[in-house]
Amino acid sequence: MAVMVLGCLDRRAGELTTITIGYQPSTHQIAALVAAEQGWWEEDLAQFGITKVVLKEFPSGPPEMHAMLAGELQFAYVGAAPPISAIYEGLDAKIIAGVQTQGSALVLRPELADSYTGPESLRGLRIGTFPPGSIQHTVLSRWLLDNGIDPNTEVDLKAMGPSDAATAIGARTVDAVFLPSPTPTIIVAEGNGVIVEWSGTMWPDHACCCLVASGKMLRDHPEIVSQIITTHIRATDYEIAHPEEAAEIYAKWMGANVATIKDSLAVSDMHWTHDPHLLVDSTLAYADIIFDLNRARYEGMGLTVLGETDIFDTRLYDELTR
Amino acid sequence: MKLTAVIRENGLSLLPLILVLLLWEVTAGYVVKDPLFLPRFSAVMSAIYTLRNLLVPDLLTSLYHFAIGLTLAFALALPLAIAMGWFRPVFKAVDPIIEIVRPIPPLAWIPLAIVWIGLNDYAAGFIIFIGAFFPILIDSYSGFRDVPRVLVETGMVLGCIGDRKLIRHVALPYALPSIATGTRVGMGVGWMCVVAAEMFGVGDSGLGYRLFQKFYFLHQMDYVIAYMLVLGLLALVLDRMFRYFVEERLFRWKKGIVK
Amino acid sequence: MGHQLVLRNVTRTFDAENGSREALEQINLEVKPSEFLCIVGPSGCGKTTLLRMIAGLDTPTSGEIILDGKPVLGPSPDRGMVFQEFSLFPWRTVLKNVEFGLKIQGKRDIKRTAERYIELVGLTGFEHSFPSQLSGGMKQRVAIARALATEPAILLMDEPFGSVDAQTRNLLQVELLEIWKRTKKTILFVTHSVDEAVYLADRVVVLSSRPGRILDVLAVDIERPRKRTSWQVNALREQLLMLLGSPAPVK
Repeated sequence: MAVMVLGCLDRRAGELTTITIGYQPSTHQIAALVAAEQGWWEEDLAQFGITKVVLKEFPSGPPEMHAMLAGELQFAYVGAAPPISAIYEGLDAKIIAGVQTQGSALVLRPELADSYTGPESLRGLRIGTFPPGSIQHTVLSRWLLDNGIDPNTEVDLKAMGPSDAATAIGARTVDAVFLPSPTPTIIVAEGNGVIVEWSGTMWPDHACCCLVASGKMLRDHPEIVSQIITTHIRATDYEIAHPEEAAEIYAKWMGANVATIKDSLAVSDMHWTHDPHLLVDSTLAYADIIFDLNRARYEGMGLTVLGETDIFDTRLYDELTR
Repeated sequence: MKLTAVIRENGLSLLPLILVLLLWEVTAGYVVKDPLFLPRFSAVMSAIYTLRNLLVPDLLTSLYHFAIGLTLAFALALPLAIAMGWFRPVFKAVDPIIEIVRPIPPLAWIPLAIVWIGLNDYAAGFIIFIGAFFPILIDSYSGFRDVPRVLVETGMVLGCIGDRKLIRHVALPYALPSIATGTRVGMGVGWMCVVAAEMFGVGDSGLGYRLFQKFYFLHQMDYVIAYMLVLGLLALVLDRMFRYFVEERLFRWKKGIVK
Repeated sequence: MGHQLVLRNVTRTFDAENGSREALEQINLEVKPSEFLCIVGPSGCGKTTLLRMIAGLDTPTSGEIILDGKPVLGPSPDRGMVFQEFSLFPWRTVLKNVEFGLKIQGKRDIKRTAERYIELVGLTGFEHSFPSQLSGGMKQRVAIARALATEPAILLMDEPFGSVDAQTRNLLQVELLEIWKRTKKTILFVTHSVDEAVYLADRVVVLSSRPGRILDVLAVDIERPRKRTSWQVNALREQLLMLLGSPAPVK
């Protein structure tokens, strides 16, 4: 009990010398790894008295946001949807920059891929994807609904992380998975699946990953937030210019096969970008969808659908890119 | 008149409980004031009401997983316990394996369970089985092993010739209280595994499933605590029911109470 | 009248770490039907071992044990036994305990038979009590009733009154003689108490200390009921005590 109390207090006191950035094992977020690999995070933040920058890995967005709710993260590379359900529940944070759009793929077991003709073929199948509240879950659900299939009753959506899903499809405990790169390509390389759809065809230009900053950082340390955005822009430009090297950095950090990662970058319909404005439209659509899914609860809490200013704070980005 | 007697009788048990709930409500509502960090007790209570349509199917599913696991555990543990407790060579042969496998936490079996059995109710039942099996086994074989020699020999001189008759008429009745104790402990451990078993999405409902696959990912903390309370209460009910139906009735002789 | 129980050259040797250990040597004994025979001897002389072999719970290393013309090969309700430790099945009532042997044998009308024997040991009214509710003396009486209920050819008793207090012991001895008179059972009674042996027995077998050999077999020709303090009883007691004080005879 004493340890718990101390632990809770410890986080609220003291000077800021460590920054913790959350991220996920996806090629969507290579920018975070590029900056870490080149030492840019610590270099660029040293002038603000930051001595340590820690990167914390999460299997998917919802657990990452849970950690941010607990105050464990100041910044997060995360899909644009998870922060929304967290903000509805009281997360004090804003999207400050973009990271990428599209870039998730539907992978079917090889024996089922031959007979795939479109969303209709998914009826009655068991599909592993990220948990409710994630981009993947939201995009897939919306796409199924648009095609007349009820995601709650006519398919069996199972929540899991990327490596669980890769194992599951290999062990045939699921029939299909819908995951962000590079896992779909890894599954194909292992002979356990065939990519049949990219998320860009399901929902063109849909927002995917973004950079989130805690409200505290925005209010108390805007200069640090500004620098984080600057470093992020630099890393994003770098990875766009040097995709081969980006793949190598990712493979090194994740212990993945370099050739497979390079393949993944070649086939993925993902589009790296640091501009948050490109994410706004689809993100507001996510806010709508998530509100719908939890209408009873949110209305009971007196909430309304989140608007742009509830989710985004692009002032610092706009200043930097004027 | 009767009410004051009831209060006096149970006051010592109930008063601290009520105080804790009050403390929770006040701390959550006026000190912490953050429904994410600590939802109010009243919020949790109304959450139980709000969730009532989900709660009942989830409860039944969890009980179903529990039943699968416990039945399997009992069915496998009892014969093995008889063999291990009665026949020393069997014990010596099997015990090392048991002692190595036993300390492995049920949660650690989840990845295997998913690959072996799949994402279905039986995988969940399997995890609960792992939790319940060892307490039942160990208490039971201890019961069989500890049968006093004088009782065995008495059985023999009264006509129980052979292991089967001795086990049936002497060892089993003697070991029954130990089996009951082991089962009760196994039930406790098994129920604790329900959440672990369900959190990985084996199945589409269940208290653990809902808690981890929905409430957690959507950060709905009042729902989380509501389900935690239900899990705890259900465990209490199961335990009390077992004690009443099995221990009170069957083992009157241990306490020397006569009808 | 023939002998009911015959022991011929019975020897029992145990294997220990440092070679073998002889517990009993060359026991030769003949028991008549309806006889009350006591076996006395110092601690460790093997008297319990001897009784267990007759019961069939142990096997002689050499020699034979024959009951009613048939060799003893293992335990059987033919040879009822009352142990020194309390041996009632704690999960069964008095009635169910006494019924036990009858039930195993698949006999019919066991309730009435059991009730009869419960009455014989003076415990009518306690049929539905559990052993945990009984005193030590009562427990042993139930054990006697249970052993007798299967109507064995012979009743073996291994210091059955050793765990009860002295007064209860005396009472139980008197009751046992009553039961013996009424049932006319052959009784083999092991005890280390010379007083007990003299009070109860028709004959007393005296065993030497280890390795146990029969030192002597004394007849107790004193009419029953015996006075514990009479001169005949005392004389016999002295005789036995002297025998027990002497070392093992040279072969």
